[in-house]
Amino acid sequence: MHISEGVLSPAVLAGGAGLAVLGTAMGLKKMDYEAIPRVAILSAAFFVASLIHVPVGPVGLHLVLNGLMGLLLGWAAVPAILIALFLQALLFQFGGLTVLGANTVIMALPAVVCFYLFRPLLRRPNPASAIGAFACGFTAILLSGLLVAAFLMGTGQAFVKVAQLAVLAHIPVMFIEGVITLFIFLFLKKVRPEMLEGIYA
Amino acid sequence: MPEKFCGPAGKRWGNEISRFTVPKGLWLSVVLCLGILLTASPALAHRMLVYAFTEGDSVHVESKFVGGGPVQAGEVQVQERSSGKVLVTGTTSDQGKFSFPIPPEVKAGRLDLLIVVSASMGHQGEWLLKAESYLPAQTAAAEAAPAAPESTPAPPSKTETKAAPMDQRMMEEALNKALERQLTPVKEMLTEMSTRRISVSDIVGGLGYIMGIFGLWAYFLSRKPRP
Repeated sequence: MHISEGVLSPAVLAGGAGLAVLGTAMGLKKMDYEAIPRVAILSAAFFVASLIHVPVGPVGLHLVLNGLMGLLLGWAAVPAILIALFLQALLFQFGGLTVLGANTVIMALPAVVCFYLFRPLLRRPNPASAIGAFACGFTAILLSGLLVAAFLMGTGQAFVKVAQLAVLAHIPVMFIEGVITLFIFLFLKKVRPEMLEGIYA
Repeated sequence: MPEKFCGPAGKRWGNEISRFTVPKGLWLSVVLCLGILLTASPALAHRMLVYAFTEGDSVHVESKFVGGGPVQAGEVQVQERSSGKVLVTGTTSDQGKFSFPIPPEVKAGRLDLLIVVSASMGHQGEWLLKAESYLPAQTAAAEAAPAAPESTPAPPSKTETKAAPMDQRMMEEALNKALERQLTPVKEMLTEMSTRRISVSDIVGGLGYIMGIFGLWAYFLSRKPRP
């Protein structure tokens, strides 16, 4: 999901950075004192998840976990993803510092969208909320793939072609993330329901 | 009396057990994290390795994902480094390879070549092929060629002098070819080694940074009077 350095044009990079700044400001505003440990844990999880290789499919892919972050954090997922991506760029050379804004939008926007999209479903009792959790993890990756295509459209690549490729390649990841989000949601609901307060707030 | 104590003691035990079941989840996550650290470090899908070398008059480009397979059907753009002018374009083969002859204007101008390979979904890598690294052989040959006519008048016999530079050039070419063949794996190994792989200290360091950043944020928030 990370776009490499030197692919996007300066205008697109600036647009991405602007959106990322807005989202981060919104996230910081919504993040209260009690939420900080939760945001930190998920930021760390996102940082490490990119190292988990998903060997299925034509291209080497990894976990993203942005659906899970959206589910647990809402808007606070944006600063969490921004910091994790910054460290990934510095330490792993994934993406890059100039593309940081664009990559943040690609991964954080679906998190926020899924949070609002599936919150009503997640609030309901178990069969419905479980479906909501799976759909949250699944849809976030789908939207990220579409956003990658949208960003690459500026480089002259046809949207439909790139979107097709990105979405098709990520189908295994979508299912894996859906299942992971589902299990973590059910586990937290049973063991640590206070972690899910963002959904009920 | 002991029987009387048995009840509360048993109850306390029960409490302790229930208190210790929550850290079980913690243990699970610690084990999971360790598992991730141990199994996942070499897996890298994002960084692309582009590598180019010359052989005779052509440049061979090879590209692959670090820790993954070759870049198939990647778009290759050969640019002149200073102006960014695109000189050659093409696509990589199933083995991630692409070859092109060195354009004459590049040779004449001693231009540095920037070889950019881009794969699907915004992945891109590049390699700078400096003029010095592909031209020494050519300049040496060029120096040898003008030197030959100068040396011709001096020795008396014609046939020998004509043969000598020819032999020399042929030998040089053969030597170059043999050297290139021998050195290619070494060069590949060097580039492979020079690409930094993710180490455990990178991962742990990153996690530490995240803790520190959020700790700092929590600290500043805690300084503010809370409503």
